[in-house]
Amino acid sequence: MTAAKITQVVVDEVKGYHNFVKFLIFLVGAAALASAIRFIFGLGVTTNLNDTFPWGLWISFDVVTAVPLAAGAFTLGAIVHCFHIKKLEPLVRPAIVTGFLGYSLVCVGLLLDLGQPQRGWHTMVYWNPHSPMFEVSMCIMAYTTVLFLEFLSPVCEKFGYHVPLRLLRTIEMPLVVLAASISTLHQSSLGTFFLIAVDKLHPLWYNPLLPLLFWVSAMCAGMSIITVEATMSHKYMGQPDEGELLETLAKILPCVLSFYLALRLFSLFALSEGALWDRPGLTALFVLEIVALVVPVLMLAQKKVRENGRQRATAAWLVIFGVVVNRFNVSMFGMEAPGTSYYPSFLESVVTIGIIAAHILFFVLIAKYFPIFEHHPETVDYSLPDHFHKTDNNHGHVGNEA
Amino acid sequence: MSSENKDFGKNKAFLIDMTKCTGCRGCQVACKQWNQLDAEKTKFFTGEGYQNPPLMSEYTFTRIKFRDYEKNGQNEFAFYKEMCMHCNEPACASVCPVGAFVKTKEGPVTYDAKRCIGCRFCMVACPFGVPKYEWSKAFPLVRKCTGCYSRVKEGKKPACATTCVSAITYGPREEMIKEAEKRIAARPEKYLKKLYGAEEAGGTSVIYLTALPFDELGFKHVTKRPLPSYTWQALRLVPGIFLTVGSSLSLLSWFTHRKERIAKEEEMRKSGSAPKEG
Ligand code: SF4
Ligand code: SF4
Repeated sequence: MTAAKITQVVVDEVKGYHNFVKFLIFLVGAAALASAIRFIFGLGVTTNLNDTFPWGLWISFDVVTAVPLAAGAFTLGAIVHCFHIKKLEPLVRPAIVTGFLGYSLVCVGLLLDLGQPQRGWHTMVYWNPHSPMFEVSMCIMAYTTVLFLEFLSPVCEKFGYHVPLRLLRTIEMPLVVLAASISTLHQSSLGTFFLIAVDKLHPLWYNPLLPLLFWVSAMCAGMSIITVEATMSHKYMGQPDEGELLETLAKILPCVLSFYLALRLFSLFALSEGALWDRPGLTALFVLEIVALVVPVLMLAQKKVRENGRQRATAAWLVIFGVVVNRFNVSMFGMEAPGTSYYPSFLESVVTIGIIAAHILFFVLIAKYFPIFEHHPETVDYSLPDHFHKTDNNHGHVGNEA
Repeated sequence: MSSENKDFGKNKAFLIDMTKCTGCRGCQVACKQWNQLDAEKTKFFTGEGYQNPPLMSEYTFTRIKFRDYEKNGQNEFAFYKEMCMHCNEPACASVCPVGAFVKTKEGPVTYDAKRCIGCRFCMVACPFGVPKYEWSKAFPLVRKCTGCYSRVKEGKKPACATTCVSAITYGPREEMIKEAEKRIAARPEKYLKKLYGAEEAGGTSVIYLTALPFDELGFKHVTKRPLPSYTWQALRLVPGIFLTVGSSLSLLSWFTHRKERIAKEEEMRKSGSAPKEG
């Protein structure tokens, strides 16, 4: 096939996409342009950042918020494989795809925000174990690799590569465990970031348990994202209905969420120092964050909500909203000194919107071309690797001679 | 990090007596010259008062803050020399992922521009708001006062301390603190009975004497505990957590998968060697 022909095929394929997908492509393009502006004219021109407010939307959303939103992969992996709640297995793949996309885009966001992105590798050479940023960047690199390996499974299935597939199966359990441990570390260390901001972060959010709180709420966010994602891909993309499985997930979610809320209130009233209610704007944001998490607990405690696809998704949306507000409160609103304010510039927003659009776009495309939903656990052996030769029984003979 | 440096009393430190400052801004000029910093185009009264430039920046590592107040019915000026505090246990050094900041054994906290990746964590972490960023550049770096480390290493005083005729004394930290206490004792009516920098952020290599309360001059309120300890109390748990989570999940999965594995082996044994049947 000549290059022209390939282009033709691609163009035809793209023409066939739904308008929404085309719109996403447009948003991603706009973000790419905006990033070009950042690299030509610098951060000062592109963003509203300055010396008193050095971290803005790109850190608050693209890193501090996006990481917990991509936590579904490790949470579900642990639930399914370690706690052995096997029936949730079909949800693992979409979660891994979401996670892999999420983390790749976190890396993109970070590279845009760094002053010297070409030196990103310095973190691997000049270690500083006292820095939470060092720890998070090592974890993110390691975890993106793990997710990539996990993501290779559907790719190999698609192309019928049996040998690597069998290898991937063998390391699957170690990968799941590794994913959960690495995630625990960096999800919590994102909270550790703000422990150094002693007199900067408002006491409504500053407390020594911040890392633990970040970790627990990340798991809630992860489960909610899976719920929302499965509901939407059933509704809009004609993927199989995972309602029953989501019901099980909806039973776990309120338990973890109540634990989080209890911990949150304990740390607020027992461990925080300083005046809590001195700034009405921040109080309002705090109330918003808590209400957005209390309501879904009350909703999901009822059987009829858990069984109702729509209401269940609504509850999950609320959790996501609550966690997002929390991360913005910690990394943005709570960090603004009284009398100063920061709001993202137009170009900053374009980039972040583009990153969100890229996430949805790639997810839709991957779901279209790769078997991430048509994955049925009954046909695959997911027990701990026993004897190497046994794993491929259901896949014919191709891999046997290897 | 600052592991090579434990005895902070021997570190070189600035004693800055704000009551002796005349607001001549010689230190600002000396700093610009020694560090070859570009001039900034500024207008008078764009900041909070007479100070100029209005803020520290990538071009201005130190600046004199002016504050007018009334004393015995007359207008008076009080000053505050803003600069890097060269903390004993610097927050900037602890958070930098690539260890670009180093607390030297002489006292100054230096910055290695060749390592910096430009993440700006140091700016978020510094309780005094010192590190500044080259916002105008496409690939910006951080800038801050280096305590004239290149001069101090050679046994010289920093540029600003050399220029200043009255207010800045430079020497070992313990001696500077003793000197400050002596001055307060000698003229208690003149000084505020507190030293800024003796305990702030766990102690710094810049010690201030003032007449007015610190917050009125624009000094920041800062915790007395060294800042790195706040993050370290969480970070030190990292290896433990990694091992705990990893091993408990492995153990858990070993148990949960056990039944299945046994059943499978049983089946295999019954049917002979499975793969060949395929
Ligand atoms: S004042 Fe700020 S920049 Fe200077 S040593 Fe202390 S933490 Fe670092
Ligand atoms: S901006 Fe540079 S010096 Fe500051 S913490 Fe990041 S890498 Fe270190």
